[in-house]
Amino acid sequence: MSRKRCTLIILSLLCFAFVLAGCPKKTVTMDEAAMKGSDAAAAERERQARLEAERAKQEQELRAREEAARKAQAEKDKEFEKSLVAKKEPGIEGEVFESSLLKDIRYDFDKYDVRPEDIDTLKQNAALLAKYPRVKIQIEGHCDERGTAQYNLALGERRANSARQYLMTLGISADRLATISYGEEKPMDPGHNEEAWSKNRRAHFVILSK
Amino acid sequence: MKIRLKLEPLPFRNKSMVPWLLAASILLSSPALPSLAEARVYLDINAPTLVQIPIVMSKWKADGKTGPAIYEALSKNLTLSGFFRVIEYGQLPASLQRKEGIPDTVVLQEWMPAGGEVLLAGEASLEPQGLQLRVRCHLFDLVEQKQVFGKVYEGHVQTLRQMVHQIADEVVLHVTGERGVHTTKLAYTVAQGTGKEVFVADFDGGSVKQITQNQSINVSPAWSPDGRRIAFTSYLKRNPDLYFIDLEGRNLQRFSSAPGLNLAPSWSPDGKQIALMIGMEGKSEIAVMDANGGNLRKLTKSHGNEASPSWSSDGKSIAFVSDRSGSPQVYVMASDGSNVRRLTYEGNYNTNPSWSPKGDRIAYCGRAGGRFEIFALRPDGSALQRLTQNSGNNENPCWSPDGRYLAFSSTRSGGSKIYVMNVNGFNQRPLNSSKGAESNPAWSRRFN
Repeated sequence: MSRKRCTLIILSLLCFAFVLAGCPKKTVTMDEAAMKGSDAAAAERERQARLEAERAKQEQELRAREEAARKAQAEKDKEFEKSLVAKKEPGIEGEVFESSLLKDIRYDFDKYDVRPEDIDTLKQNAALLAKYPRVKIQIEGHCDERGTAQYNLALGERRANSARQYLMTLGISADRLATISYGEEKPMDPGHNEEAWSKNRRAHFVILSK
Repeated sequence: MKIRLKLEPLPFRNKSMVPWLLAASILLSSPALPSLAEARVYLDINAPTLVQIPIVMSKWKADGKTGPAIYEALSKNLTLSGFFRVIEYGQLPASLQRKEGIPDTVVLQEWMPAGGEVLLAGEASLEPQGLQLRVRCHLFDLVEQKQVFGKVYEGHVQTLRQMVHQIADEVVLHVTGERGVHTTKLAYTVAQGTGKEVFVADFDGGSVKQITQNQSINVSPAWSPDGRRIAFTSYLKRNPDLYFIDLEGRNLQRFSSAPGLNLAPSWSPDGKQIALMIGMEGKSEIAVMDANGGNLRKLTKSHGNEASPSWSSDGKSIAFVSDRSGSPQVYVMASDGSNVRRLTYEGNYNTNPSWSPKGDRIAYCGRAGGRFEIFALRPDGSALQRLTQNSGNNENPCWSPDGRYLAFSSTRSGGSKIYVMNVNGFNQRPLNSSKGAESNPAWSRRFN
């Protein structure tokens, strides 16, 4: 029994020795290839990671920018939304909104043409209307108290219409622009001097629907 | 409520008015040989001075308070007519102060010291339960020493003011050859809150009544030809639409509601058509429609802005405002829109023409020296006359139905008030002393 065990041990050792003797070259070769391959992969992985990080960073920045823009827009939207003040007038049907972002323009005495100094205001009003394509407005034509009520109502009609025509040339569609003349019946300033009169000769813009 | 009217027999044969007028004319140093038609010499719009007939009003014989009430209202109405200088009994010599009631023509001599050319005397009684009023009124010619007319008015005591207006009209008829306008009313607007409401008052400023109560902006009232309804423009539905309402403030009816202006109706003399301002394509045009609101057609064809149509009394022409020349001026066109001619050339702001019911004058509002004044001229453009002088802004002239008065708005005493003047510009007086800024007067037909 002990000889058999010894033989087995020896054979095993021999085999082991043979394995050990025959393997090194191959192992080295394999190791070198493995070494070479893993280096490239790591570099690649690293590169990819860097790219990934860069992309992520860019994406994040973009998202942040977009978020900021969206927030700013929301803020702006809110600014318009916030600027709206509901206005219900006694004895006049319906409710309209006024916005501080839609600015009045003024007229010279007995004139209805848009003054050069008011063109920027109309452009700003048109830009706002372009941004909110669902908004419909009514342009009110007003006069000062001088002159007769009926002629002033006719003059107010023309004032409102000249402002409307100008907004149309700036690309706002006609069906969004209603007009009404109040003549001298709704003064903004109740005074009886040129300061009051110049304020009262105006086109005022109210929002019929948002 | 009806007032029954009876003529009282004249004690003497009712001679023609001509001798009386002759006497009056001589007293007034008129060189013209007068006739009834020439009674209008007193109303000559070119008269350099205001000629007023001195009329004595003796004390009335009456029960209770009705006598003084009638006396006071009658005195006021005769003064407001502008044709009279009223001498009330309190100003008379003591012997005449106490004489009350209607004198016999045989004692007219004793009224000579009163200083009047005519004497108006009367009696009032309430019967049977204090609800029925009976008024006797006689006018005497103190120069000719004869009775001019004698009438009895009977009606409910609430018709007292109407009776006074009818008596005043009768006196004006006999002295001037044409009935007065004391039974007429004026519609106008009064500012209240952020709006304006339509009101109506009698010619003498009394019986003020609010017609609209809707808090809206109600402008430019006009009377329907039958005097039963008032047309006005209101923003009730967020557009200046034309409405009708009755004198009780009821039966509101939307009559014209084109998008834009529906304003300033003027009826043709036959009542069949209405000229008005209509907004079309962003400006105001003069259009005509049938009186029932149908068949609207545009009359004006210029590039200008057109306003304030006023139909001529013969129905052939319409005066209106246009800015086609670059500033608002008064024009006249045929009622079919043809033959447009410019009427005003003085100044650069002439608006609100109003054609006299007599046809001979067109009044308008013009800007002169920085203020707005009332002017009038003939329909051919001649005989331009300025009727208000440097007293605030004066706007919106409109004629009485007899063409002898103009109502207008004026800021001469601060806020805008309705004033009335005789056609020659004399006797300018506020309609009443009510509060609130008044504008846009419109004169009714007679209600007798």
